[in-house]
Amino acid sequence: MCMAAFLFCHPVFAEDYPLTKPQKLTPQAEKVVEQLGLGSWIWTTNFQEKQTCRFWKSIDVPANDPVRRAVLRITADNSYHLFLDAREIGEGSNWKALTEYDLTFLLTPGRHVMAVDGFNDGREAGVLLGMRIALASGKQLDVVSDDSWLVVPNTAHRWLSRSRPDAEWQPATIVGVVGQNPWWVNPVNIMTPPTLQPYELHFWKTTWFLGAVLSICIVALALSLWLAAKLALQTRAQELLDVERARIARDIHDDLGAALTQLVLQSEVAQTEFPETSTARGHFSQFCIRARAASQALDEVVWAVNSKRDTLRDFSSYLCKYAQAFLSDTAIRCRLDVQPGMPASVFDLSVRRGLLLAVKEALNNAAKHSGAAEILLRINKEGENVIVVVEDQGNGFDPEAVGGAGNGLQNMMQRLQDLGGACQITSGIGAGCRVEFRMPLAHPASRGGFSLRSLFNSQNGDTHERHDLDGQ
Amino acid sequence: MTPHRVETKAPQFSTESPLKIALVEDKRDVRESWAKLINSFPDFICMCKCASGEDALRTLPPLQPDVILMDIFLPRMSGIECTTRLKNELPRTPIVMLTASDDDDLVFVALQAGADGYLLKRTTPADLRSALIDVLTGGAPMSSEIARRVVESFRQKPRGHDDNIRLTAREEETLMLLTKGYSNKEIADRLGVSIETVRSHLKHIYEKMHVQSRAGAVARYMSGNHVGQS
Repeated sequence: MCMAAFLFCHPVFAEDYPLTKPQKLTPQAEKVVEQLGLGSWIWTTNFQEKQTCRFWKSIDVPANDPVRRAVLRITADNSYHLFLDAREIGEGSNWKALTEYDLTFLLTPGRHVMAVDGFNDGREAGVLLGMRIALASGKQLDVVSDDSWLVVPNTAHRWLSRSRPDAEWQPATIVGVVGQNPWWVNPVNIMTPPTLQPYELHFWKTTWFLGAVLSICIVALALSLWLAAKLALQTRAQELLDVERARIARDIHDDLGAALTQLVLQSEVAQTEFPETSTARGHFSQFCIRARAASQALDEVVWAVNSKRDTLRDFSSYLCKYAQAFLSDTAIRCRLDVQPGMPASVFDLSVRRGLLLAVKEALNNAAKHSGAAEILLRINKEGENVIVVVEDQGNGFDPEAVGGAGNGLQNMMQRLQDLGGACQITSGIGAGCRVEFRMPLAHPASRGGFSLRSLFNSQNGDTHERHDLDGQ
Repeated sequence: MTPHRVETKAPQFSTESPLKIALVEDKRDVRESWAKLINSFPDFICMCKCASGEDALRTLPPLQPDVILMDIFLPRMSGIECTTRLKNELPRTPIVMLTASDDDDLVFVALQAGADGYLLKRTTPADLRSALIDVLTGGAPMSSEIARRVVESFRQKPRGHDDNIRLTAREEETLMLLTKGYSNKEIADRLGVSIETVRSHLKHIYEKMHVQSRAGAVARYMSGNHVGQS
């Protein structure tokens, strides 16, 4: 029992008030108990001032006998919080009055957990409750406060939602009966809050929905992490590949190139040691020519694989040199027209190789068939395209008549189209020939730097393009 | 680079006083082979073989060779740095770079650094001989690629009215024709001058390039910020 004034006067006597002992019900109280379906005042044996005491009890509503009506009446000295299935039903702090909760709609068939969190300010302590359940079959169930309730230690976590008790939870202690001094025989008042309705569970609150959303989030997160990791790895792999290409190019060049150069020089020297007419000298001379050609071929392979050479400027200079060297063996003069200040834009390996082969083909055709005295090679950059023109004022041909399979033109055009470029041939009999190649600087598949497809087909494009470096 | 074509019959030098060639090359076998090749020409003699740039800086200035053949890659002091330093000691001696690969970036840096010509190491003895004669009688041949870079470098740096580093109209014309793929002979025909005149234009272009770049590109190269190997 707590009355503020009383406490103020006797705060030091708190320990003089141990637990009360239950007495016998008076006939008058017995009637009240019967009518309201109440139990006894319960508390824990470890009485303390300012004490919280938690009570726990599970009840089973039969599946085949639904609840018609369930009313729970409760009070506590000094206050309580009432929970059903971890849901807070209500609270009260007037030990003189009863509160009557209608739980009809909450007691669905199955197991339910009732929990009371009681608090005592000082002196007599207790929780009194009783729930009367009327079942559809007409049977009546009374759940009352008695020693079947368990006292939950204050250290227990999530005790409201526990469906089974802990082994160490001790039974509650009956500390008094209805009507026992200082408690009432008849409650001063019975308060009736509105009937409690079950929580409306929207579909987005259901476990499966939340679970699904969560798993989608996790999957999405995992996927993006995976993609990011893969992108990072691929970028790294591309960098490594470039570095490796440059290293291989350098190694080939340094070791093999130096050895070949030495071979050329030594055989030149050896050659001079034989008389001019000897067959050995002839052989050495041939040997020199072959070794020089090998050395030159090696330079071209190195050029093709060296990532440092992936620029338009380099391509243009290489193409000019190639054309000059190629035509120096013929009677045809080579004329160049290269846009001044050719930028060092990145020029994809696959595209530059395809374009190189096509231009070689065009030069070869012109040298073989044009009969011209001069071939013009023109290289320009227009926007994101490079334009290479091979032009002569020679015999020319009728494109209609020559068209079709069997000549290199078809292959040439197909190859360029695959790489996102175009090839236009203008010619007429006696009107010379003009072949124009227009290529994008970047391969269409790799344009924009990043595509999902490139991630999923990791680097197949590269290997496909690189396997046949023939260094022509 | 296309192999250096012999434009005209090379002038004959008196065998009584063969021209003195110095060689700077770190690999012994290559050095010996080059020396033998040079010595096989009646009008040339390989007077000195240096194994490193440091060696060359010590040995060559007192010997006063007629031409220096310099490997572009040397351990420690590079051929390019060695060229710059030798030019200070022997400003009149032409230096020809020897490169294993056809790398315009590198060759251009070497030319700016003071080289007067360049040769691929796999060049034929006949081309070697004509290149040596070219560099002694005028400017060494210039490929269209190098000519293009020279044009660009002169356009990028207009240096006021200093005639030493400005190209004359004829020199510029010569360069433009080179970039278009004309040979020295074709240029001579087109400009109505002798091939020797074209070569002397080239010689002046090389010289002006050295002057022009002494401050810029070389300083960059010395500080290590240069184009690397191929």
